[in-house]
Amino acid sequence: MTEGLLYIQSEVLPALFRGFGVSLRLIFPSALFGLTIGMAVGVLRVYGSGPVRRTADVYAALFRGIPLVIQLFIWYFGLPYFNIYLSPFAASVLGFSLCSGAYNSEYVRGALLSIKRGQMLAAESLGFSRLRMIAAIILPQAVRRALPGCGNEVIYLIKYSSLAYMVTCIELTGEGKILASNSFRFTEVFLIVGVFYLLMTSIAGFILARVENHLRIPGFEQQRL
Amino acid sequence: MTSPILRIENLSKRYGQREVLRGVSLEVDKGDLKILIGPSGAGKSTFLHCINFLVKPDQGLVRLDGREIHPEHKRELYAYRQKVGMIFQDFNLFDHLNAFENVRIGLTKVKGIGKEEAGARARLELERVGLKEHINKYPAQLSGGQKQRVSIARALAMDPEVMLLDEPTSALDPELIGEVHAVIRDLGTNGMTMIMATHQIGFASSLASEIIFMEDGLIVERGTPDKIFNDAEHSRTREFCSKITDLYGERG
Repeated sequence: MTEGLLYIQSEVLPALFRGFGVSLRLIFPSALFGLTIGMAVGVLRVYGSGPVRRTADVYAALFRGIPLVIQLFIWYFGLPYFNIYLSPFAASVLGFSLCSGAYNSEYVRGALLSIKRGQMLAAESLGFSRLRMIAAIILPQAVRRALPGCGNEVIYLIKYSSLAYMVTCIELTGEGKILASNSFRFTEVFLIVGVFYLLMTSIAGFILARVENHLRIPGFEQQRL
Repeated sequence: MTSPILRIENLSKRYGQREVLRGVSLEVDKGDLKILIGPSGAGKSTFLHCINFLVKPDQGLVRLDGREIHPEHKRELYAYRQKVGMIFQDFNLFDHLNAFENVRIGLTKVKGIGKEEAGARARLELERVGLKEHINKYPAQLSGGQKQRVSIARALAMDPEVMLLDEPTSALDPELIGEVHAVIRDLGTNGMTMIMATHQIGFASSLASEIIFMEDGLIVERGTPDKIFNDAEHSRTREFCSKITDLYGERG
């Protein structure tokens, strides 16, 4: 028993903390890029001209439709055929961002479509250009409505960041896998790994709830029974 | 004779097979209050929407101060729309902004006026429509009458030359109609040029410079309130007016 504790203290935790750091470095930029891409693509999918809209639709269909592992394999193992070499870390961030962006674009699209047409007429009648109207009237409301969905996507992202180890980017899960294979203490190691993820998703959930609360409009969208 | 401030010529609009407007023309002089009446589906709302090109007419022209508007020139269109305020049946306030910001945003984002100056103007307009105490409330915290007054303040802040009002009180509880009518009446006495669609006969007859009865996308008959309500030429006009008088009463 003490031997087990000692092993965890001296071997498992340092390695997992190292992996945890890598995971965070994967998750933060991916979430940020994912949200940015999602917002831009969502807007284009609703307000873009014909060809632009179709291109954005194809992007969303592709990146939502192909399993993320396959996408990562393509970025990491496939691109070298075109003489493009990405580090495991870069390939992972690229894969996560594009996949997350595709999902987010769907939430943003739904939110944009839910804004009442009347407000757009009102903005137009005041002399707003289309771009200004989207930026000042539509997006601020749509972002609030997309937030629960996009927040959900961030939670997913935290968990699917574990796929990075498939392209040799050794993050939390990767470190866990190595430790477990070496010691055969699968249960202990992966329980701890699980706790790390649970911690990240809980904190993210807490922050997202705070943000949502902060952006709440008095008297609006508060029809809670 | 002064030339009309707004001249609308032969506006037509069809949705698929349905002709909603069939060549409607109207001249509006400065300070006029033209009231559009007619059954729903007559084309009143489409007509108002076509005047500032929120709905693109298939045919026809609009001239403001003698200058023809070319809606395909975006810059010209945006400038024109600032001069033509629009009030909607269901207010269409911006839900994420409070009353003050609703009025200010057009000034800052469209006219490019600094926040401070725009804020002062917004406050002034809200005071004018009697909403000084509600300046920081969000649309969802305001009554229908208050919302409509905010939307009037929002339009007025842009210094329009003409106001288009599309049944501004028909979504309101009867007891809230008066406060909105008072604001519109006030505008009229201050010389604002307006075209308004409404079913409020009493209000219309006390203020209108001309009543225009529309049906099936056409102007059937037009004239002074007295003529239209008491001595209309067309039987259809008489029939409609008597029905609507029963419904909405004499007083405005």
